[in-house]
Amino acid sequence: MNLEILNMAGSALTSNKTRTALSALGVVIGVSTVILVVGIGLGAEQKVEQQFKNLSANSLIIMSEMGHDAIGSSKLGIEDVDLVKNASMVKTATAMLGGNVSAAYGKESASKRVIGGTAEIFPISNLNIGAGRAFTDEESADRANVAVLGWQVANDLFGDGNENDSVGKTITLKNKKFEVIGVLEKNGSGMPMLSPDDSVYVPILTAEKALFGSTGMFVINAQITDVKLVDVATYEITTMLRKAHNIRKGRADDFQIRDAGSMVAAATGAAAMMTNLLISVAAIVLLVSGIGIMNVMFVTVTERTREIGIIKAIGGRQKDILTQFLLEAIILSITGGVLGIIIGFSAIPLLNQMEGWYVMPSLKGALLGFIFSGFVGIFFGFYPALRASRLDPVDALRGE
Amino acid sequence: MPDFPIIQTQNICKSFYLEGGQEIPVLRGVDLEVQKGEFVALMGDSGGGKSTLLNVIGCLHPATFGSYFLDGEDIGHISDDYTLAFIRNRKIGFIFQSFNLLHKLSALKNVALPGIYHGMPKEEREQKASQLLIDMGLFDHAEHRPTKLSGGQQQRVAIARALINDPQIILADEPTGALDSHTGEEIMKIFMKLKSKGKTILMVTHSPSAAHYADRIIFMRDGRIIDQNYKIPK
Ligand SMILES: Nc1ncnc2c1ncn2[C@@H]1O[C@H](COP(=O)(O)OP(=O)(O)O)[C@@H](O)[C@H]1O
Ligand SMILES: [Mg+2]
Repeated sequence: MNLEILNMAGSALTSNKTRTALSALGVVIGVSTVILVVGIGLGAEQKVEQQFKNLSANSLIIMSEMGHDAIGSSKLGIEDVDLVKNASMVKTATAMLGGNVSAAYGKESASKRVIGGTAEIFPISNLNIGAGRAFTDEESADRANVAVLGWQVANDLFGDGNENDSVGKTITLKNKKFEVIGVLEKNGSGMPMLSPDDSVYVPILTAEKALFGSTGMFVINAQITDVKLVDVATYEITTMLRKAHNIRKGRADDFQIRDAGSMVAAATGAAAMMTNLLISVAAIVLLVSGIGIMNVMFVTVTERTREIGIIKAIGGRQKDILTQFLLEAIILSITGGVLGIIIGFSAIPLLNQMEGWYVMPSLKGALLGFIFSGFVGIFFGFYPALRASRLDPVDALRGE
Repeated sequence: MPDFPIIQTQNICKSFYLEGGQEIPVLRGVDLEVQKGEFVALMGDSGGGKSTLLNVIGCLHPATFGSYFLDGEDIGHISDDYTLAFIRNRKIGFIFQSFNLLHKLSALKNVALPGIYHGMPKEEREQKASQLLIDMGLFDHAEHRPTKLSGGQQQRVAIARALINDPQIILADEPTGALDSHTGEEIMKIFMKLKSKGKTILMVTHSPSAAHYADRIIFMRDGRIIDQNYKIPK
């Protein structure tokens, strides 16, 4: 019985193909939007996660203040690391001086991110040595030309799978010879160019002398003893650095201190805000598509008033008519939903080819899209279907 | 039992109400009895309420007042859609002036349609529908859509549809009204056949020649029956 009515609903839809296609189009667009939005949201979340994967929660990041105009003050420098280390709430501190230089071994060469650091950089950044060793304090002090390679760098320069063979070999960084003393374990964070896998680590004084001079991005990463002490430690370090930099009262700091927690929170917050914004856009698209379906259903009901009257006169129940029209709306929206899922998922790889895009395909997106399309069909199809089922048979037969 | 009223109305009144609440009384107390197996024609002035009465009897809309017994059962007060649909589906076959076939369906599917709401399996109802189309001389047209058929053929499809669930009662509202007189005669011959098979027929008509086939003619004016056994003046 219900199968028959399903059949009738299906043939009603195929009898006006253009209209069916047009009204399903809204759902197709709506559902593919949902899938992309969920994908963009998840992608952004993952991006943030990867960005901060190597930052422990009790890190404080100290950077030069951009655009600082205080006259007579010194810039944040390597000498400040020892100062920060001496702060009572700081367990350990390391400095990083980073930038991109060309790295080469034999014929292989590529532009790589080089990070100059002290020996503490590896534990602070949660990096594990896979082969060889890290550089020592002596090497750091001696400005030795030694390098620890990220997993991907080693593979790029020495051939895939040969990363451990690189230990003991000599590579060039910015045309200067460096001995490879260690290789990191694969870190696996999926952000090319920013990942430790794609980086080369050298002692910081070496980096300053041989690679960057006063150029390059300089940061101090201080590990404080307890996450709860973020504010006190920030205050302590600020006081010490202001004194060391001779900044007079009333003048602005020539450095800025950020804690990992609030950096992560800010980035996560930004990602979540973007996701919410996109979801509201999608919700509007979906609402519009639902109203589109409702409109089409109303037109359909009006056009088929006489048919409804006939069905009632030969013994069709309200329930049968309600079922048929509701099924029409549901078939319409679910077909649109499935098409939307297909189109949404096909668009993801295309979008990911564009610079700066990261859309993550997910089951969540597909489910959300599918549930949504069914919901649109039921929600927006119900009222027109109910109206159809409640038409007075005599009025309906007159075609009013 | 020849004299069993299968349709019996007592003081049926029906009014329509305009949007302003204004009452339009259309049936003003109709007492009607149709015996089982009888073929009754309903004539009268246009706007006299014949269709309205037929629709009350066919459970397409309720009376405002009065009682209605169908096959001995008081159904005048039933407002439940399920029961009313059941009566329309099983007890009554409705035939209209304008045929009222579904244009998207073939003749066969049109005939079979009430079987769906009866819950008949597809095979059974399509077999019954084919047999009915054969009876109506339309077997060659089973797969044709109604728009491909002449008026007379469409009305025969509609009659077949009215018969698929084997109802006791046929209600026809001007079944020959849209047909030429020759085709109208053919339809009346089919009605005679149905009567001979024991169907009770109540037919609204303006056509004296169609009314001549009936056992009895009832005449209505202004919402009342003014003659239970009307003779058409020569
Ligand atoms: N839904 C309605 N609303 C208002 N008036 C109606 C409605 N249906 C029928 N009528 C009126 O009822 C009267 C009887 O109509 P009807 O039963 O169709 O007459 P007949 O079939 O005898 O020509 C007419 O005057 C018609 O205008
Ligand atoms: Mg009439």
